[in-house]
Amino acid sequence: MDLSLNVNGRPEQFSAQPNELLVERLRDGLGLTGTKVGCDTGQCGTCVVRLDGRSVKSCLILTAAAAGSAVTTIEGVTTPGGELSGLQEALRQEHGTQCGFCTPGMVMALGELVDNTADREAPTEPEIREWLTGNLCRCTGYHSVVRGVQRACSAAREDAPAQPATATAAAASGQEG
Amino acid sequence: MTTVTGETSPQGGGVLGRPLDIREDPQLLRGEATYVGDIDLPGTAHMAILGSPVAHAKILSIDTKAAEQLPGVLKVATAADFTDVMPLPCIWIPGGVESHFPPHPYGLPGSRPVLSGDTVRHVGDPLAVVVAETPRQAAAALAAISVEYEPLTAVTRADEALAEGAPQLHEAVPGNLNAYWTCGDKDRTDAAIAAAEVTVELDLVNQRTINSPIEPRGAVGDYNAATGEYTLYASTQGPHNHRFLLSALVLGIPFNKLRVVAPTVGGSFGTKGYLYPDMPLVLLLSKALGRPVKWVDTRTGLMNSTVQGRDHRQHVTLAGTRDGRITAVRCTSYANLGAYPSTIGPGVATALMGRSISGMYDIDAAFCEVYAAFTNTVSLGAQRGSGRAEAAFLMERLVDRYASEIGMDPAAVRRKNLVPKEKFPYDNGLGWTYDSGDYQLNFDRAIELSGYADMPARKTEARARGKRLGVGIASYVAICGVGPSTRMSKEGMLGGTWESANIRVHPTGEVTVTVGSASTGQSHGTVFAQVAADELGIDPAQVQVYEGDTLKAPYGQGTYGSRSYSMAAPAIALTARKIKSKLVKAGAVFLGVPEDKVVYADGKVFVEGHEDDTENTKTFAELAMALWYGWGLPPEIEPALDETTHFDPPDFNYPFGTHVAVVEIDELTGETEVVAYTAVDDAGNIGNPKIVLGQIEGSIVHGLGQALMEHAEYAPDGQLVSRDLGHYALPRAIDAPFFTLDKTVTPSPHNPLGAKGAGEIATVPPAAAVVNAVVDALSDLGVRHIDMPVTPEKVWRRLRGEAQ
Repeated sequence: MDLSLNVNGRPEQFSAQPNELLVERLRDGLGLTGTKVGCDTGQCGTCVVRLDGRSVKSCLILTAAAAGSAVTTIEGVTTPGGELSGLQEALRQEHGTQCGFCTPGMVMALGELVDNTADREAPTEPEIREWLTGNLCRCTGYHSVVRGVQRACSAAREDAPAQPATATAAAASGQEG
Repeated sequence: MTTVTGETSPQGGGVLGRPLDIREDPQLLRGEATYVGDIDLPGTAHMAILGSPVAHAKILSIDTKAAEQLPGVLKVATAADFTDVMPLPCIWIPGGVESHFPPHPYGLPGSRPVLSGDTVRHVGDPLAVVVAETPRQAAAALAAISVEYEPLTAVTRADEALAEGAPQLHEAVPGNLNAYWTCGDKDRTDAAIAAAEVTVELDLVNQRTINSPIEPRGAVGDYNAATGEYTLYASTQGPHNHRFLLSALVLGIPFNKLRVVAPTVGGSFGTKGYLYPDMPLVLLLSKALGRPVKWVDTRTGLMNSTVQGRDHRQHVTLAGTRDGRITAVRCTSYANLGAYPSTIGPGVATALMGRSISGMYDIDAAFCEVYAAFTNTVSLGAQRGSGRAEAAFLMERLVDRYASEIGMDPAAVRRKNLVPKEKFPYDNGLGWTYDSGDYQLNFDRAIELSGYADMPARKTEARARGKRLGVGIASYVAICGVGPSTRMSKEGMLGGTWESANIRVHPTGEVTVTVGSASTGQSHGTVFAQVAADELGIDPAQVQVYEGDTLKAPYGQGTYGSRSYSMAAPAIALTARKIKSKLVKAGAVFLGVPEDKVVYADGKVFVEGHEDDTENTKTFAELAMALWYGWGLPPEIEPALDETTHFDPPDFNYPFGTHVAVVEIDELTGETEVVAYTAVDDAGNIGNPKIVLGQIEGSIVHGLGQALMEHAEYAPDGQLVSRDLGHYALPRAIDAPFFTLDKTVTPSPHNPLGAKGAGEIATVPPAAAVVNAVVDALSDLGVRHIDMPVTPEKVWRRLRGEAQ
């Protein structure tokens, strides 16, 4: 079937089998190998991408079911070799990686949490850990990741102007436009 | 959240010992690192492996015709296609025992063929492969291979495999016994136990667990017909080892025709150092098809093919006096090697465990015997903390049992028996000689930091909330720094275990360090640059580290047993000293003074007493360029700066530590929550505390996993019940408790950095600490032991008075 996706801001059109998984399209079809496959059962979270802004496991979604949506992968978070996002920078400072295989999925899952806290109360440590339960890491024991998220949330709140959420979003959008 | 109270103490005022940012991190955070699954060579075909669905059977026939007809299928192969390939070898059969296994053509003990032909011996045992245009086509074709099996009875426990009438796995191994191995003094130990005032005994199950790196294994084979050269890209923690084993011992091709490349590797924890059938298969099939062949495992595939860990059933005895002096320890262990001896599995199950059982204690008599048996399960191998964790578990459980028996505080019993500082080097009577340590300092620090004295009050407070609070201590010594090659040969290791490093100084003053080790997430690029920069007195940003490619790096054994920083880093430091020595010689020539008047410091050479005088100084970069040109050098000085060191230490090193776990058990649900965890570890001098902090935290959580949830469970017919992550629990972020971390620093005398192993050492004690805490919480119910994993159901039953 002929399908289309907007991937990292670029329209993509292609033909796919009905049983193709989104992660296969991203990795094999589009060569976006930052998204990883670590298990067969949706447990590990290495394949998390943002689908219309929400973090989802791309190994649990058919490409066909995502058709017409906007997908952001880890490659869409920064330009190659470019400046790290606030979350990535915070994780770098806390060394929230080791082997790095779970890292892209974590950045994509946690990105949603951090984005949502710029103008709200920062998440508590239990909330961060709860948010992370969909992502497995065998190296770090999660502590440095949690510290990174706390750092990122603090930075995001300090950077955010003291305005209502909608006004902030409008202002940001206006600046970009 | 982790609290770190230890001081960071840089060594020598340089960049070593400092928590420098990790240079690997930005690439990993952007998803730009290349793992084996991301490698996409032009024209690649894809391989899938058919694993046996039954645990033990004779193969009567395999029909591949239907599979060969399917779309995209390029080749279907079985054992019959690889009759000229040598079996995978086992290179660590513990010394002094007969392996009972058919020898490998090169005189080594054999292990398994690349594909099983007549018999399959565990679920997942590979017996056929398909290569197709796409991974999906290859996987689909597996289903079309028709295999006729004659089922045989399976056995999954080591003790049952050794019983009379048990199913026999290998004709050449009567009674399924691979090795009976002992260490220590049996007569002396038996006598001490017979004469003791107090003896305590325990029957322990150290359950089988699955290491579960988040990246499953993968391999890409690329044969170049024009040159006859093979390249293997693989998720390996020992590319040089794999090159040696594959070229000379399996494929029978010249050593210099095989290149092994480890790209970024997504965790290993022991499992990716082994030789697996997929590695020779992708190379052979690439040659057969004239295309690169790629294989990436699934999670279920990993669980029934990649080596698993632990798995001992033990009867252990401790003897002592009524006033708390331990006089003897004895262990009889049944180790489950799985269906085939893995590359080094038999050594892990025997020497690494047995020689470690006396832990931190000064014990007069100790003895360990291991019956290492074959069963219809996945082969056994190393796992983060391998051997030492099993040893610490039995010893630390015994100490608590003993303390309870004599009515003495478990901390006091431990304190009384620690090896005293003045006794180092200390021969533990089981084959290890501990290099250095101040166990009292370390132990006291852990007890103090944990708030041990407040536990009675905390227990009372918890009971008021419907919780039972328990506290458990576990101390350990972990053999690391494998190792001294001659010593390892006596241990039965077939091959040198030294490590090497090369330093090349470029004409522009930049430095390239290449090492034989290979990171699986330990940030070698950062810390090895620190080592070289510190020695040379230059900026670490000038230093680039290369490893993981046999074409570029010198030989070495790779990353295992927490050895990289105490083996490869000393090799780098010693090489940097050779560079400095040459710079001094060259400096003497260029400065026109005798060599003994020349000093090297802070990245420059100068005439003694003239450090700030530019006339009498040459910088590192100036000398690098001068040596590159080679003009005006006397005959005894070769041009260029390029040095290599092969480091083979005089003995192992022995990090140690003490952990204290505090658990709360819910009276209603039986759920165990680790509410506080204190760890004080001693890894000698540390290169980059940021790296080690992460390793300590991750290791503790790994150990908690074994205590609380992880179990590779086999049904009696040999089916692996925990076949995916829906059936095998790994700790998640919510399972990690608050940690309080500290360290003591006792340098090892066995390497020039004073380093000890660090990466996995904190995995060694957590299981014992947690189970000790759980038993403490339930002790008033008469509970004396509880088997891992300590699931809510098990505890719930004990709370209601059911026996284990």
